[in-house]
Amino acid sequence: MSALPEYRTRILLERENVPLVNGVFVSPGEEHPSDLPEMPVYLKAQIPGATSRKSSGLVRRVATTEELEENLSILLSPGEWGVAEGVLIAEGLDLTAEYYAGCMLDFGSKERLPGGMLLFSTEGGSGVEGRSATLLKMRFSLLHPPPPEEIESELKKLENLEEHAAVAGFLKGMISTFIEYKLNVLEVNPLGVLKDGSILAVDCRAEFEKSAVRKRDMDVFYPPGLRSSRDITKLEEVVELINRDDPSGTGFFRQNRETPSEGAFRVATNLCGGGGKMLWEMTTGSRTDIFTMNESDTSGGLSAFKSYRILRVILAQKDAQVLLLTGSGMAFQNQHHLAAAVWKALRESPTPLPSLLRFGGTDEDKARELFERVSGTLPVPVKTYPAVVFPNAMVDDIRDMAGETVKIGEAYITPEGEPAITVLIPPGKIYYYPERWQKDEIPPSVKACPTGFLKWNKNALTTDPEAKCIGCLMCETAALLDGNAEILIELEMPEVVD
Amino acid sequence: MAGILKYLAGVETPKTLVFGITGKQGRSKSRLMRKFGTEIIAGCTPGKGGQEVDGVPVFDSAAEAVNAFPQLNSAVLFVPAGAVRKAAIDAVDAGLKFLVLTADGVPTQDEIVLKEYVSTNDSVYLGPNTVGLLDTEGYLFGLIGGSATWARKNYRPGKVGVISRSGGLSQLLGAFHCRPNLPGPRADGSYGPLWGEDYPGLSAVVCVGGDPVPGISMLDAATAFEKDPRTEVMAVYGETGTTQENDLAEAVMNGGITKPIVVFLGGKFTKAGVSQSHAGAMIRNENETWKAKQKALLDAGITVVERPDAVFSAVLGKLKKS
Ligand code: SF4
Repeated sequence: MSALPEYRTRILLERENVPLVNGVFVSPGEEHPSDLPEMPVYLKAQIPGATSRKSSGLVRRVATTEELEENLSILLSPGEWGVAEGVLIAEGLDLTAEYYAGCMLDFGSKERLPGGMLLFSTEGGSGVEGRSATLLKMRFSLLHPPPPEEIESELKKLENLEEHAAVAGFLKGMISTFIEYKLNVLEVNPLGVLKDGSILAVDCRAEFEKSAVRKRDMDVFYPPGLRSSRDITKLEEVVELINRDDPSGTGFFRQNRETPSEGAFRVATNLCGGGGKMLWEMTTGSRTDIFTMNESDTSGGLSAFKSYRILRVILAQKDAQVLLLTGSGMAFQNQHHLAAAVWKALRESPTPLPSLLRFGGTDEDKARELFERVSGTLPVPVKTYPAVVFPNAMVDDIRDMAGETVKIGEAYITPEGEPAITVLIPPGKIYYYPERWQKDEIPPSVKACPTGFLKWNKNALTTDPEAKCIGCLMCETAALLDGNAEILIELEMPEVVD
Repeated sequence: MAGILKYLAGVETPKTLVFGITGKQGRSKSRLMRKFGTEIIAGCTPGKGGQEVDGVPVFDSAAEAVNAFPQLNSAVLFVPAGAVRKAAIDAVDAGLKFLVLTADGVPTQDEIVLKEYVSTNDSVYLGPNTVGLLDTEGYLFGLIGGSATWARKNYRPGKVGVISRSGGLSQLLGAFHCRPNLPGPRADGSYGPLWGEDYPGLSAVVCVGGDPVPGISMLDAATAFEKDPRTEVMAVYGETGTTQENDLAEAVMNGGITKPIVVFLGGKFTKAGVSQSHAGAMIRNENETWKAKQKALLDAGITVVERPDAVFSAVLGKLKKS
């Protein structure tokens, strides 16, 4: 789940006509506009997901222009809090009361349908649960949200509340916003009451799922050019970029933030599917002698191109000693294609790792065969396992593998020749080297193309515009194993990882 | 004999509509399903009505498809996550009884809306985020097996019903029960083949999916297997998040489910509040932790194993007893 900071949550609320305190947003490097709210004002650093902003100095009350300039420049500069997206300058109001309002999801139970949950408290935010006389907890349907009258009659059950109709109208607006943008959480805290009885959102925040964001709302949820202050590593960011330009299947990668305990074996993992991840966790979760460098999930029929690119990221992890790859044992991804991706990554990464590879699923035998054939030319030792061998058995081999010094096999030397044909297949290029294929027959690389995308026409390479390249790497693999390197594939990484 | 769908959705012989049949995945998975034996009668892609895919007529809406083929009773959706809600409602409105929603990443609000929507209809759906359902009677919904040859070779008729929240483990638990001479840890502590050529075999695999608000729950699936005469034991993959395992335990406790169950419970090391590759595995409260689930299951007398390869000997043990 991702967090939406206040100033961006305000945009959503405003679109649904929910009243807000006056405010102006200033982003770093931007001159603040002249039409500021009247002094005193509050300066609020905008950091998604940040809580207790007041106590950490991220919200400051200023009464003069000098104070404003000074504090604004502090909050806009990088600090202990990281880098703020900007500062919201909000009017300082005299409030006669402060309430709390929230919408969240109710996941339901065996007896109760899931839905939305509206929380409202006359006692403000923290610890609202458990004060039933002042707390309204109202389940609502996302399909048929309640009209304001229904909310109002629920509000009448609360002590110390007078502005029933105004609050009901406000909450109705919140529910509309919550549903319109398919949010997971929407909070207004505080919801302020002014002397004249009108109410408005003084502060707010939201949480959302990436997959719920519509294209037309992208600018609010993912503002262009925003330097994110999210907890994300460089390598994780690269995987995000890979996912962006190749959305096939699942590509999940998260590095372990903890420090490995002394003497533990540091294992970089490529786990395939939630099942693979679970098997690995069950096997090693309680062991202190094995440190998992990263979580990962590559599954759901991703292309070998994508597997290769994510593997390059996995191999680039500093201090990793071995690579361990396992799925549940019944992957959808063709295992021969996956093996080709692993082979390519081990060949081309400047930091290949000794590898333990468990293949399971279609063509798993071919996957193991591939590594039998190339074992003499690998820069690192590789051991493969069939699906019936569970990861518990692989773990016992980590010790041996991690200790192995990197031995350079007789690396494959590419024959002479310049590429004459380049086929663009984003994110890469297929190069064809005619000088390397002088025989009067179809080269193995072209024969190996499962979709018919590569064609052989009068001793020359062509492509079939009707067919598609599925990024399986079979052409290059066959060229290297059975041909004369007549086809090579170059795949681009969104950023250098090594 | 009828397959598991009779007990899950009241469907004896599935006649199926494929949403998104004109797309890449829809087309290839429809071939897989048909080769395995599923009767695909029509496809549906808005705007592409009138076309044909591998001889299957395509309609603009489920209603039009049902109009042309009133025998349609089920659907599988190979549509993007954002389009699931609309397509599923279209299918339910057209009167289809059983749907499979394969997409990963369906917004939780859409899942909640669907759950409410079907509560007033007599349709049920599997998923979202599921690899589907395979019945060894000869039908398959979704993508289990990857290819029809592989699926036919690996999923053979027998006595075990598989329920799983993970696609990979649905496939693994299903297939390994059909593998002659499968090696594994035996009850006596030794390691080796658990059975010979006489593997236990499978009645059906039901993947309830990895999302927080599944349509058909683990308990719904178990209730169906309870009624299915072929099934003697259930092999289940559960994990943290949601209360599905807890509900299953409660039903066993109350005597609603009496067939033996072996649960492989994953997520022992999952921390609360951390998002997982299965959205539904996120722990939201203490009932959803590994410990709480393990306790609930054990208290109900369900066998819980922590090593995946221990499932098979545990299942064998139950079969010998019954
Ligand atoms: S050209 Fe053919 S063989 Fe090569 S990657 Fe593309 S689909 Fe695979």
